[in-house]
Amino acid sequence: MSELAILTKAMIQERKDIAIAIVGGFIAGIAGVSLFSASGYLISQTVFAPPLYTLIVLTSLVKILGLLRAASRYAERLYSHRATFSMLSRLRTSFFAKLIPLTPGILGRNRSGGLLARIVGDVESLQHYFLRVAYPPVIVVMVFLATVIFTSVFSIWIACLFVLGMLITAFVVPGIVLLGQRRRQGRVREKRAELSTEVAEMLYGYRDLKVYGQMKKREQLLQDASAALAAEQEAAARHLLRGQSLHAFVAYLISWGVLVLGAVFIMNGSLAGVFLAMLVMASLTVFEEAAPMATLPAYKQDSEHAANRLAETVLDADRRQPQPSGALSTDKAVSVELCGVSFQYEDECRPALKGITLSIPPGSKTAIVGPSGSGKSTLIDLLLKLRVPTSGLIRLNDISVQELNEASIWQASNVVLQHSHFFRGTIRDNLLLDEESYTDEELAAVLEKALLPNKSLDDPVYEKGENLSDGEKQRLALARVMLRKGRLWLLDEPTSSLDYVTEQRVLSHLLTEAADDTLLLICHRLTGLEKMDRIVVLDQGRVVEAGTYTELMEQKGYFYEMKLIERQMIDEA
Amino acid sequence: MKKKSSLLSEQMSAQRKRLILLGFTSLALGAAITVQAVLLAEAVERIFVQRSSLASVAGILGALIGVMAARTLLSYGNGRIGLQMASSAKTSMRAAVLRKLSNASMPMSLRGQTGGKVSVALDAVDEADSYFSQYMPRMMEAAVIPVLILIMVFAQHLNSGLIMLATAPFIPIFMILVGLQTKNKSEEKFAQLAEFSGTFLDSLQGLVSLKLFGRAHLQQQAIERSSLGYRDATMGILRIAFTNTFMLESIVMLSIGIVALELALQLLVFKSLSFQTAFLILLLVPEFYSLLKNTGTAFHSGRTSMGAIRKVEELLAERSETEASLTNWQDGGENMDKTQQTEQMDPADTPGFADRSSIRMPPIIELRDVRFRYAPDSFELAVGSISFGAGEQIAIVGKSGSGKTTLLHLLAGLLKPTSGEVLVNGRPRWQMDEALWFDQVSYITQHPYIFAGTLAENIAIGASREVSRGEMVEAAKAAGLAVVADELELGYDTPVGEGGRGLSGGEKQRLALARAFLKRPAVILFDEPTVGLDLHTERVLQRSIAELAGSATMITVAHRLYTIRHADRILYMDDGVLLDSGSHEELLARLPQYAEMVNAQRKGGFA
Repeated sequence: MSELAILTKAMIQERKDIAIAIVGGFIAGIAGVSLFSASGYLISQTVFAPPLYTLIVLTSLVKILGLLRAASRYAERLYSHRATFSMLSRLRTSFFAKLIPLTPGILGRNRSGGLLARIVGDVESLQHYFLRVAYPPVIVVMVFLATVIFTSVFSIWIACLFVLGMLITAFVVPGIVLLGQRRRQGRVREKRAELSTEVAEMLYGYRDLKVYGQMKKREQLLQDASAALAAEQEAAARHLLRGQSLHAFVAYLISWGVLVLGAVFIMNGSLAGVFLAMLVMASLTVFEEAAPMATLPAYKQDSEHAANRLAETVLDADRRQPQPSGALSTDKAVSVELCGVSFQYEDECRPALKGITLSIPPGSKTAIVGPSGSGKSTLIDLLLKLRVPTSGLIRLNDISVQELNEASIWQASNVVLQHSHFFRGTIRDNLLLDEESYTDEELAAVLEKALLPNKSLDDPVYEKGENLSDGEKQRLALARVMLRKGRLWLLDEPTSSLDYVTEQRVLSHLLTEAADDTLLLICHRLTGLEKMDRIVVLDQGRVVEAGTYTELMEQKGYFYEMKLIERQMIDEA
Repeated sequence: MKKKSSLLSEQMSAQRKRLILLGFTSLALGAAITVQAVLLAEAVERIFVQRSSLASVAGILGALIGVMAARTLLSYGNGRIGLQMASSAKTSMRAAVLRKLSNASMPMSLRGQTGGKVSVALDAVDEADSYFSQYMPRMMEAAVIPVLILIMVFAQHLNSGLIMLATAPFIPIFMILVGLQTKNKSEEKFAQLAEFSGTFLDSLQGLVSLKLFGRAHLQQQAIERSSLGYRDATMGILRIAFTNTFMLESIVMLSIGIVALELALQLLVFKSLSFQTAFLILLLVPEFYSLLKNTGTAFHSGRTSMGAIRKVEELLAERSETEASLTNWQDGGENMDKTQQTEQMDPADTPGFADRSSIRMPPIIELRDVRFRYAPDSFELAVGSISFGAGEQIAIVGKSGSGKTTLLHLLAGLLKPTSGEVLVNGRPRWQMDEALWFDQVSYITQHPYIFAGTLAENIAIGASREVSRGEMVEAAKAAGLAVVADELELGYDTPVGEGGRGLSGGEKQRLALARAFLKRPAVILFDEPTVGLDLHTERVLQRSIAELAGSATMITVAHRLYTIRHADRILYMDDGVLLDSGSHEELLARLPQYAEMVNAQRKGGFA
C-alpha cells in the first residue's frame, strides 16, 4: 500500500510511544480476560468448599487485575493519542514541504481554495488511521494469542476454537465489510459532493435563478439530491451495522462452542469441570476486547481515501528534477526575452498565452495592459518559473529560465502579485518576509513611501490581512517590495484598489526606486502610461499591439479604443 | 444535557413511533440478555455441578444459541431504528435548510459566507446524525436494560442487587464530572484547533508569496512548532479526561470485585447461595456496568450533535424579523381586503396582467415612498416616489455604496421594500404572480452566474419555456457568442461553469446578453460592467443593449458616460437617498455633485 508509506514512516518515528501504547493495550486486554476468568474460576472453586485463604487470594487477585486493567488502559490511551498527534504534526510539516515546489503548478486558475482546504482536511482525517486502523488489530491479535496459549493448557480444542474465532473476527468479518464498504462509501462521497456543489450553485446564482424563474425547479432538485444522500448514508451505515452484528454473533457462537466443547470434554473426563465457567468467561471477555475491529472498516476506508488523494497531490514532488544551478545576477538590471511562448492551464481547453514574442531591454519600464483573462498574470508566473511554458523559450539576462535556479530568480525579483498574501502577525512581520535586517527608521520610511504613515510597525495583522482594507493591503505589499534588492520588478495590478491621486503618488515613488532596474507593470487602468517606455497590449493570450503611449494613440488601434472606452467611464472612486 | 432545542423536540416528536418501537426492542433486548445469562448459568450448573449427560443439556444449549441469535438481531434492530431516525431527521432538517435558503432572501445570499451556509446544509446536518443513530438508542438501552438486570439480580440475591444499586450512580456522577472538567477547556481547545488549522490553510494559501520571499522553509518550522504546541495543549486536556475514565473504570472494576467477593463469601461462609445463582449474577454484572458505561460515549457524541443541531437552528431562525420585508410575494395578501383578494385570484379581470401578449408591452413602473433597510439598524435606502414610463431608458448613478444596486434589486423584486410600494401598471407588484413578473424581466449583472452544464443549457435558462436549438443559436449570435462556440470542439455542448471550461469575463457578459435575447424582456435591469472587458465584448454590449432596449423599459446602474448621455432620465443616488433625477443637461445645470462626477474625470484632456 504505497499511499500509506508516508503514514508508516511517521509511525516508525513515533515507535517509542507506540510501543508503550501497545504494551499498555496488551496488559489491559490480558488483565480484563484474566479478571473475568479468575472470577469464573473463583465461583466454581466455592463448590468444593476450599479453605478461606485461597478465596482471599483469588478475590485480591481479581481486584488487583481490575486496577491493573484500568491503569494500563490509561497509559495506552495517553501514549497512543500522543503518538497520533505527533504523527499529525509530522504529516503536516512533510506535506507542506512537499507542496512548496508544487505550488502554484498544481493549482488551476480558479480552484486553489478548495484544493488547499481539502489538503488540510485530508491530513486531519489521517489521524484515525493509527488509532482506529493500524493499532487495534495488533492489540486484538496479541490478546487473543495470549488467551489461546492460556486455554491450550486446559484443552487444545478449545484453544483451536479461539484461534478460529480470532481469524473470523479480526480478518474475515472486517474483510467482508470492507468489500461492500468501498463502493458504498464512494457513492456517499459522490452524492455528498453533488449536493454540496448544488447548494453552493444555488447561493451563488441566487439572483439569476430567481429572475429566470428556475428557483422552484432548483429547490426540488436539491431536495431530491438531499434525500438521495440520506438514503446512501443510511445504506452505508446499515452495512457497517451488519458487520458489527456479525461480529457480535460470531463472538456468541464461539462462546457457545466453548461451552459445548467444554461439556463434551468434561463428560469424557479430559477436562476438569471447575474450569468450565472460567473458559466461558474468558471467551465472552476476549471478544469484547476485539470490539474495535468491527468499526475498523469505516475508518480504514476514510483514511485510505484521504491518503490516496494526498499521495496523488504530491506524486510529482518525488519525480521533480533537481533545480539547475544557474543563478540570476543582481549586479545589473535584468533583460527579459520571450520567444514564441505559449501556455495552457491543465484544466482548460484553450491556451492562456499563444506564441508570445517579446524583448524587454535591461532597465526599461514596460506596461502590460489588456482585458481580464487576456493572460497578463500568467505571463508573470512564467517569468518567475512558477509555471513552465507549454512551448517556447524565456530568457533572463540571456540565460534560459530552464537553466536558472528558481530561488535565484525570486531572489533577483521584486514581485507584487495580484493578491498578495499576508499572515497573522504584525506589520513588521509582514514587511520582513525576506531575511534581511533593517532599522525601525528605515522601515518607517518605507511605510511613508508607500503612503501608509498611519500604520505602526507593531500594528497587528490578522489572518490573510483581514483587518486591512484592499488599498492598505496593496500599499503594504508595495512597501514590502520596496525593501527588496532585486533588479527585476514584476508588479501585477499593484494599485487597482487605490484612488487616482494615491495611485499616482505611490507609482512615482516606485519608479524612483526602480530607476535603474527593469520593470514590468500590469495595469488595469490606462492612466499614467505616458511615462512608460513601452506598452504591450494583450488580448486572448496574444500581443495585439506594442509601442509607446504616443505611438499607440496615433495608431488608433486596440489601445486607442480601450482608452476611449475608459474615458467614457465615470469616476467611481 | 442542556435544555432541548425546539428543532430537536420537533424532530423527536416526529419520530415518536420509532421511539416507542425503540423502547420495545430495548426491552426485548434486555430480556434476551438476561435469558442468555440464565441459560448459560443453567448449562454450566448442569454440566459442572450436576454432571448431567450432554443429551440432557442439548435443549438448553439449543435454546441458548437461539437466544444469542435473537440478541444479535434485536441489537441490530435497535441500530436500524436509530439509522432510520437519523436518516429521516437529516432529510427533514436539510429540507428545511434548503427551503430557507431558496425562499429566503437576497440579503441572505448576498451577505457572503456562502461556504458557511453550504457547511450548515451538509456538515452540521450530518453531524446531527449521531444524536439519532447513537445517542438515542444507547440512552434508551441504558434506561431500560439495567433496570431489567437489576430486577433479575434482586430477585436472585438481595445483597448483590444492593451493591449494584449503590455503585451504579457513581458512573453517571463521574461522567458529569468528566464533562464539567473538560468541557470548558475542550471548547477553548476546539477554538484553538480551528485557529490552528486556519493557520495551516493560511500558510498553504500564502505559499507562493512565501516562496518568492524565500521564507517557505521558515514557515515550515513554524508549522511544526505550532503543531507540537497544539499537541501538548490537547494532551493536557486528554490527560484530565483519561484520568477521569481511569477513576470510572476503577469504580466499575472494584464494584465487580466487591460483587464477586460478596458472592464468594455467601457461597462459602454462609452457604446461603447456590453456584448457579452466583454464576448468573457474575454473568449479569459486567453487562450491567458496560451498558451504563456506554452512555458515556453516547453522551459525548450526543453533545456534539446538539451543537450541530443548534447551528442548523440558528440558520433557520436567522433574520426572521426581516423576513417580512423579503420577497415572500404572497405574504402581503394577508392584509388585503376581500375585493382585492378576489381580484388577485382571478387575474383575468385585470387588464395588463392576464393576457401574456400584453405583458410583453413595457410596463409603467412606479415607486411610492419606497424605503428599505437590510436590518433595523443598518443603512437605509430612501427613494421616495418616482415613476418610470413604458419604454423609458433610466440610468442610476452615484458613488459606490450609495445604494444603486439595492435600488435595482428593489425594482427587480428581489427585495421587498420595508415600507412603501412598487407599482407595476398601477397595481402593487406583490399582488402579481412572481413567475409572471420575472417572466418579463431580465437582470444583466456584472458577474452573471454560469451554472454547471453546457453552454447551450446556460443560454436556454434565459427563457422560462422550452426553446429550440435554432432560437438558442440565434440568441447566441446576437450576443456575439457564436464566435466562442465555433472555437470550441464541442460547440454549444461544451460543459461550462463548475468543473467545466472557464469562460472569460467578456464571454460571461455575452452569455448574459444571450439569455436576454432569448427572453426578449419588457423590463431590463442592467448593472453595467465597470472594467476589464475586451473590445469585442464592449462593442457587442453597446449594440446589443441598444437593440434590447428598443422594446423595453431599461434601468441601468451606469458606469459609462455614453450610457448616461443616452438615458431619458438619470437618477442620482447619494448615501441611500435619491438626490435628484432628470436629464443629463438638467442635472449638469442644477446638481453640482453630478457635474463634478461627470466632469472631474481623472483621465484628463478628453475633448
